[in-house]
Amino acid sequence: MNGMSLHKKLEENSALLIFGILFVSSIGGLVQVLPSLYQESLRTASVNTRPYDAVELTGRDIYIREGCSVCHSQQIRPIIAEVERYGPYSRAGEFVYDRPFMWGSKRTGPDLHRIGGKYSDDWHYIHLIDPRSVVPASIMPGYPWLAKRDVKTTDIQRKMRALKTLGHPYEEADIENSPSALEGLKEIDALIRYLQMMGTSFVEAEEEVQS
Amino acid sequence: MADLPNDFWSAWIAIITVISFVALAWIVFSIYFSGKDSKTATEESVEPVWDNDLREGNNAPPLWWFWLIFSAMIFSVIYLILYPGMGAFKGVLNWSQDSRLDDSYEVYNDQFGDKRIEISASSLSKLQNNTGLMTTAERIFTRNCAACHGEDGRGQASLFPNLMDVDWQWGSSAQQIEQSIRLGRNAMMPSWQAALGDEGVDQVASYVMTIGSEEADSHPGKAQYNQFCVACHGADGAGNPLLGAPNLNDDSWIYGGSVEDIKRALVDGRNGVMPAFNDRLDDAQIKLLVAFLVR
Repeated sequence: MNGMSLHKKLEENSALLIFGILFVSSIGGLVQVLPSLYQESLRTASVNTRPYDAVELTGRDIYIREGCSVCHSQQIRPIIAEVERYGPYSRAGEFVYDRPFMWGSKRTGPDLHRIGGKYSDDWHYIHLIDPRSVVPASIMPGYPWLAKRDVKTTDIQRKMRALKTLGHPYEEADIENSPSALEGLKEIDALIRYLQMMGTSFVEAEEEVQS
Repeated sequence: MADLPNDFWSAWIAIITVISFVALAWIVFSIYFSGKDSKTATEESVEPVWDNDLREGNNAPPLWWFWLIFSAMIFSVIYLILYPGMGAFKGVLNWSQDSRLDDSYEVYNDQFGDKRIEISASSLSKLQNNTGLMTTAERIFTRNCAACHGEDGRGQASLFPNLMDVDWQWGSSAQQIEQSIRLGRNAMMPSWQAALGDEGVDQVASYVMTIGSEEADSHPGKAQYNQFCVACHGADGAGNPLLGAPNLNDDSWIYGGSVEDIKRALVDGRNGVMPAFNDRLDDAQIKLLVAFLVR
């Protein structure tokens, strides 16, 4: 048999052709994707990485709703220019509680993975409402409505329960208390809480190793 | 894929990769170099023929195409020997993203290590007289500090302090400024609404406006100021850099200097936060910033 006779067989038998196409196009997935489903470092949380609490989770959903990830990535690559600019590069284990992860693919604005603790809450508040009041050259749009709208407290318990079934270690008490934790918060407060915790677990872990 | 769960998956990757490679090579070679006369008579009779001799499979693509595919195959073999790709095999070069980062840091430190030691050993005044280094310091400032303190360092948004005047909330010495940069600062003025009451807020705010003038002594707000505010801001309103309590006795105001602004501070409290930059800047960068700001 040679390549041409195989070609002829496939061409004359459509079922074989369909099977052949499916088989060949699955090879990449079998080699690249399947083993990574069993790869420990992708499934184990990094030291100090914890699931988002009720407020952070709500802030994260606002981050998703407003499309922040369209302009901001959350992945610092292991390249010196990025590590010097943003901080330690992102580890897979830091994202185990991100469903879905917000890595993004485009940086119109800077990467945000290590934004936590870089600015004060006050700065974030002003900057989210009117970015140009503190960074004159910024092209980021303002999000003034975030300061006016109350966070939604009705669906947080269901959200946390859904994540719990996916393996996020929430205590039942945390879920019970989640609506009261959100009581009285504006959307901007929740978003700032999320921004301020982003990427901090890894840096804390590093400091613990040093001391 | 250095941490594959077990040898099975490593072998899985390597074997499928090799089999795919061999299958690909076989297809390419057999299309170009198999004998063309192997067809039986019956096959020939049913196969369409064009232009007397052109039939399916008897005219291979041009040879340069073969060489292109062939060199790509050679490349992939060399690549899989040098770099990680075949399961847990790390490659002859032992390349990893960590080692690449470490290597670039080695080059970086070779390039700037001496410069950093020189900066750390220099006196502040020597650094200040070096225009090149001060340009660098300004660039560090623009990149790390300007978002809050403004591009010109003069503060902004009636929230972030002016760093270019003589007034320093947390102290103006090089040590104090260095500490502010390294560890950050947390101001903690609580709300005095409950303690003072609405009338008290009005009176104390109005008193604060008069501190330093002659009317201050007889002002009705003085008693409450001396009861509640004096511990941090001092009897003369000069403030206390150890607590980050600003001077109330001058014309420089972090949060605005109108009576309304002061009332708001009394009602809501003021809790300005300067984040810590110890992890974000190295020692030489912090020293340059201190030299830049102390001027």
